[in-house]
Amino acid sequence: MKELRSQAIVLRTMPLGEADKLVTMLTREAGKVKAVARGSRKTKSKFSALVEPLTLGSFLLHAGKTFYTFIQGELLKSYTGLQHDLERFVHAQYFCEICDRCLPEGEPAEAVFHLLLTALETLEVDPHPARVARCFELNLLEELGLKPALDACRICGKSGGPFRFDPLEGGLVCAECPRPASSFPVSAASLAVMKRLLAYGFQKLSVCLLSPQSQSEIHQVCLGLFQHIFDVRSLRSLQFLKAGKPS
Amino acid sequence: MFYPESIARLIESFRKLPGVGPKTAQRLAFFVLTLPREEVVSMARALVDAKDKTRYCRECGSFSDGELCLICRDQRRDRSLLCVVQDPRDILAMERMREYKGLYHVLGGAISPIDGVGPEQLRIRELLQRLQKGRVKEVILATNPTVEGEATALYLARVIKPLGIRVTRLAHGLPMGGDLEYADEVTLSRALEGRREL
Repeated sequence: MKELRSQAIVLRTMPLGEADKLVTMLTREAGKVKAVARGSRKTKSKFSALVEPLTLGSFLLHAGKTFYTFIQGELLKSYTGLQHDLERFVHAQYFCEICDRCLPEGEPAEAVFHLLLTALETLEVDPHPARVARCFELNLLEELGLKPALDACRICGKSGGPFRFDPLEGGLVCAECPRPASSFPVSAASLAVMKRLLAYGFQKLSVCLLSPQSQSEIHQVCLGLFQHIFDVRSLRSLQFLKAGKPS
Repeated sequence: MFYPESIARLIESFRKLPGVGPKTAQRLAFFVLTLPREEVVSMARALVDAKDKTRYCRECGSFSDGELCLICRDQRRDRSLLCVVQDPRDILAMERMREYKGLYHVLGGAISPIDGVGPEQLRIRELLQRLQKGRVKEVILATNPTVEGEATALYLARVIKPLGIRVTRLAHGLPMGGDLEYADEVTLSRALEGRREL
């Protein structure tokens, strides 16, 4: 019997049949997997609380033909603090949705697992959810091999600005080179913040101040690069973030 | 296909029902063939009637066969109590208890950005309009004890409290007949939080 024993973060759930749930989760050992939690919608189910989104657990799964099945589980942490604030809740779901869309099923992604874990923990306490989101997006891009090249122009190699960012080039384009249609301006301040976020991750996030302009530019850079993997317009949680701060 | 077309069509129709596979659909179709004609006609009428006559109650958003549902029409109901649920089926669960005598409001889901459901997609505006009429003294939030249900309840509490109405949430705790040993950590901690003096 093939089994998977791993820590995992529940990304999303879907009702399945009468009382089951299909749970998508990011495991430490096997990357993104889908598992069926039988009877978990019943109030007396031992899995009810374990298979809620934004939960970290230690699970024993049995590999089936299409999906895994839950056998045992232990709850390690439930990020309940994120439910108390709609803005944080939407950001947390945004992180989970991006992971769900970016990662192929069954391919180990331990670094992304740790990144998401740190992002959720930071999101619970950081007063600026948008700042956590920018840090998560940039570092996730790095883990996926799509780290933006921010040191010099991708075409001529010149290191002095002003620069535009071109998602198709994966980096900067200077004012002297032909301007690609897909490029957009990015300020020196935003470039400095991005370099800092990529170098230190969440470690020095609390002292990193982002102006609304930098927030917007960094977000545009990240979405442009995510576009290489999936259609970002189809990100449902992003629609909520774009609609503005939830009231 | 080994069956006459009429039976094949019936099997196909049953297969559209949730949880019904090809074998079950086949068994149901053959069972229908054994029924007297009038029972089959009555069953078919019931299906069409349910589809044609069922609509949403103007007041609470639950299923109804008129402008208002049976509960909203009932004048004996306590109009100062309003229980907010996610789904019309939750009303059936509450009514099975036979202890609650207030009214209901169906939201039509819970806030879940990952599924594209936000406050605007739920019947929250209608809820606030109902509350502004001033008869409701207490709102009981009975959304599901899930991450989405909790977020929805907290959001509702935030928008309702400024209206000066008492907002309560269904208690979380141990299910009757269960063993403490098998309770999960979240349920146990919620049960401890909500403990009461005897």
